Amino acid sequence: MNHDPWIWIGAFLTLMIFSFLYKDNPFYKFAEHLFVGVANGYYIVFYWQNALMPNLFEPLGAGNLVYLVPLLLGLMYFARFIPKIGWLVRIPIGFMIGWGAGISIPAYFQAFVLKQLQGTIITPQSFVNPLDGVWAVIILIGVICTLVYFYFSKEHKGILKPVSRLGIMFIMIGFGASFGYTVMARVSLLIGRIQFLLGPWLGLID
Amino acid sequence: MKWYEAISRIDRRIIYFLLTVFVILPFFVPFKIRQNIMPQTQRLFDFVESIPPDDKVVMISFDYTPQTMPECHPMAIALLKHCFARNIPVLGLSFDPQAPGLAVEAFETVVNELNRKASNYDDSLFYGKDYVYLGWKSGFTAAVLDMGESIAGVFPRDYFGHPVDSLPLMQKTKNYKDVAIAIVLSASAYPEYWVLYPQSRYGVKIGAGLTAVMAPKYYPFLQTGQFSGMMSGMKGAAEYEHLIVEKGYTKKLGRAETGMNSQSIVHLLIITIIILGNIGFFFSRRDRKQS
Repeated sequence: MNHDPWIWIGAFLTLMIFSFLYKDNPFYKFAEHLFVGVANGYYIVFYWQNALMPNLFEPLGAGNLVYLVPLLLGLMYFARFIPKIGWLVRIPIGFMIGWGAGISIPAYFQAFVLKQLQGTIITPQSFVNPLDGVWAVIILIGVICTLVYFYFSKEHKGILKPVSRLGIMFIMIGFGASFGYTVMARVSLLIGRIQFLLGPWLGLID
Repeated sequence: MKWYEAISRIDRRIIYFLLTVFVILPFFVPFKIRQNIMPQTQRLFDFVESIPPDDKVVMISFDYTPQTMPECHPMAIALLKHCFARNIPVLGLSFDPQAPGLAVEAFETVVNELNRKASNYDDSLFYGKDYVYLGWKSGFTAAVLDMGESIAGVFPRDYFGHPVDSLPLMQKTKNYKDVAIAIVLSASAYPEYWVLYPQSRYGVKIGAGLTAVMAPKYYPFLQTGQFSGMMSGMKGAAEYEHLIVEKGYTKKLGRAETGMNSQSIVHLLIITIIILGNIGFFFSRRDRKQS
């Protein structure tokens, strides 16, 4: 059994959180509140030390006055709290939207639209490996049917009906895969905690 | 209460108890369930295998959090072992504020283990020469784009406060041209932003190590070739551990592999519970229709 007090604190806090599985209780509440407090404290100190100090206050302290511009832009966000000068908040928001849109729109189009469209196009090369060719056809059918399912400008009658039905099946398969992966992820977290309790704390496993 | 009502109303505490027992059991009752290697893990492994030794660096972005350690930390350990075994230098960095401590721990664990086994100076790993951890940076988008021009410009000092220009590895690693692949170990949306910015602008090869929850969302990136490979969840980590053991880079499997035995048993339990619940539901519904 480990003699490190931090391991013991970690183990007891883990058990306190797990106690919620039986029912809500003061031990769980204590651990939950402690977690929220510690997390907030960590983030405040971390951002102060690693973002504000090196990126703003230290250069300002060294006499680099150009850093007054981001400081002023940042302070303008707080103008929301003073109704008389509340309009000032539009300046940094406008700056961020302009910068963000300029930098993101071409990249989004390239990475998430063109490349993904390219991925659904079937070419003779798709059939170099016959199995890959089959999957390429399935992907194409899946994309078209799912898009048809979300096409609401026309009632799903006639040919649109079976195609949209097939689309909902593809969507359901996607949901099933997501659910399976989510179960796996949550069980992994439980396994991680049990490994911690059995290993570093109790010393029963490596 | 009829039998089918009973099986569809099992107390949740009994289910939690069974889950705990099924997770713990495989740690004490030795058995082995063979893991099939999924193609995306194999692709990532093959990519790292194809990088020439002592040439370009593998950039690892440590962006996971303590909550997701059981899934992503074994990936980091396995990746580092693979790179160091092949003499591929590693450049670490983080954009998630919770990640730096975990990244340092991953480096320390692997470097200490390998240096203990090293028989001479050449076999040993040295900070600054074989690996560098740059630390955390705010402003993700600007930072990853600027690294295409100069990594030292974005990270003038590393995590430990050394001037980056003074480190031998960084003297030959100026920007993305010197990076063979950037592998993002993440529990949030960072991998898609790596595709969005550095890959779109500079053509950086991207690999990913993701939590299982995220994996379905990222399969399209594999199919389009935007990801050069991917590890998904604890299973992905266990597969990578298997691959490096099979290749002889290390002798011992890691924590993900032992965890996967529990994972497989728990999945059987969950499938059984879902089937029981459905049997109960169908019989109850038949009863209601008849009455």
